[in-house]
Amino acid sequence: MKTLYNRVFEQYWNPMMALVLAGVFSAAYFALTGTVWAVTGEFTRLGGHVVEFFGGDVSGWAYFDLVHLEGSTFARSDGWIVWGMLIGALITVLLANNFKIRTPKQKRRYAQGLIGGTIAGFGARLAMGCNLAAFFTGVPQFSFHSWIFIVATGVGTFAGVKVAKTKWWKGKPKLMKGGPAPVTKREKRVIQPYVGGLVALLYTGLIVWFFATGKPVLGIAAIFGAIFGILIERGQICFTSAFRDLWLTGRTLMAKAIVIAMAVSSVLTIFVIANYGMTPITQVASIGTFVGGFLFGLGIVLASSCETGMMYRLMEGQVLYLFVFAGNLIGVTLLAYSWDHLGVYNLLVAGGEKLNLIPAMGPGWAIIATLTMLAACYLFIDLYSKYKRGTLILPKGEKKIAS
Amino acid sequence: MQADFTLDLRGESCPYPVIYTLDALKDMQKGQVLHVVTDCPGSFRNVPEEAVSAGYKLAKEPEKAGQEYLFYIEA
Repeated sequence: MKTLYNRVFEQYWNPMMALVLAGVFSAAYFALTGTVWAVTGEFTRLGGHVVEFFGGDVSGWAYFDLVHLEGSTFARSDGWIVWGMLIGALITVLLANNFKIRTPKQKRRYAQGLIGGTIAGFGARLAMGCNLAAFFTGVPQFSFHSWIFIVATGVGTFAGVKVAKTKWWKGKPKLMKGGPAPVTKREKRVIQPYVGGLVALLYTGLIVWFFATGKPVLGIAAIFGAIFGILIERGQICFTSAFRDLWLTGRTLMAKAIVIAMAVSSVLTIFVIANYGMTPITQVASIGTFVGGFLFGLGIVLASSCETGMMYRLMEGQVLYLFVFAGNLIGVTLLAYSWDHLGVYNLLVAGGEKLNLIPAMGPGWAIIATLTMLAACYLFIDLYSKYKRGTLILPKGEKKIAS
Repeated sequence: MQADFTLDLRGESCPYPVIYTLDALKDMQKGQVLHVVTDCPGSFRNVPEEAVSAGYKLAKEPEKAGQEYLFYIEA
């Protein structure tokens, strides 16, 4: 019993396994509800609520019509995906006795988190999704905008790494001479797992209440939200690191896991769509998708986290991510405002159109094209890593391209 | 375990524990040992992995002490 608990909570799970499970559950969530696992749409609505709270009137903002700003976050399934993710992650963090208030010594991180979070939030909503709806759950919906978004995020994160590597951005820690620094004393009584168990119990009660009072959609969202939160926390799933680590050091663990999980999810989703006759979720592909993806990529590296990773890190007690979350909310609200008031829609999005591979080329070719694209991504990741780590053997006479 | 240098990176989030660790190791002499303390959960996996793939050796298995992680890396 002790060893099982140890395996599940003391150690982190293999990210590949966690991501494939997330891909399977997101296909299942689509089959059950017809919607996808996404978070930033709800962030935008939360931003709208904040503006309303301070007396602003958002009824005329076109973007809020687009994302259906109605009712309260606790009455929306998208809302319960977000709250479920936060609560699910909190439960496993506590069960693992891993909660700790963590404050960066480099004070510049707070400004960086706020700025990066704002850019990432703005970019995500301009592109109609973050690393979920325009990426991890966008590709398996065969929405072409996610293909553009992935490439643009790659370019954006590359630029972000250039900034993050500069001296003035990264700062310098104190390197002490000599032996081990004093380690914080181990606590005598471990109480976090009990608190975690209590939170899990209360949350289960809430889910039961949803079903008992005729709100099964909210109940399902609350269950799946918690599952997603648990999976990303236990697997330490980080889309930012998937790109950043590839550019920085050639590390491929997370990037390859994401590609494989998307392939699994795509195959499952095409069966769901074919067998249940469901309509895939398609977003507009436009110049805005590319610009948004670039800004998103830049922002997540500057902030050290995307909108998804931020959520479990917040639950771990990493104070930095309060600033990233605030930045995200500011960014999405700025985008919602500038959408019609500053002409962003007319400039970048109006010329685009909704393009989905299934109606465009039929389900067979849609899945073939998607798997081919993912295989190309995998190959690129592998080759770039070998090039970065100096193990790529180039043909004779060819010069190594300067990085 | 005796170390020549210590980096206390508690509070720092990814990727800075990795960047700082590699930066410090680069300036050390071969055979010297760097002790790194972190509390960013991601660093438990990526600090030792990145150090090893950059050609350094772990002088000791990574250790978890409460919510903190201890590494000993040989330059």
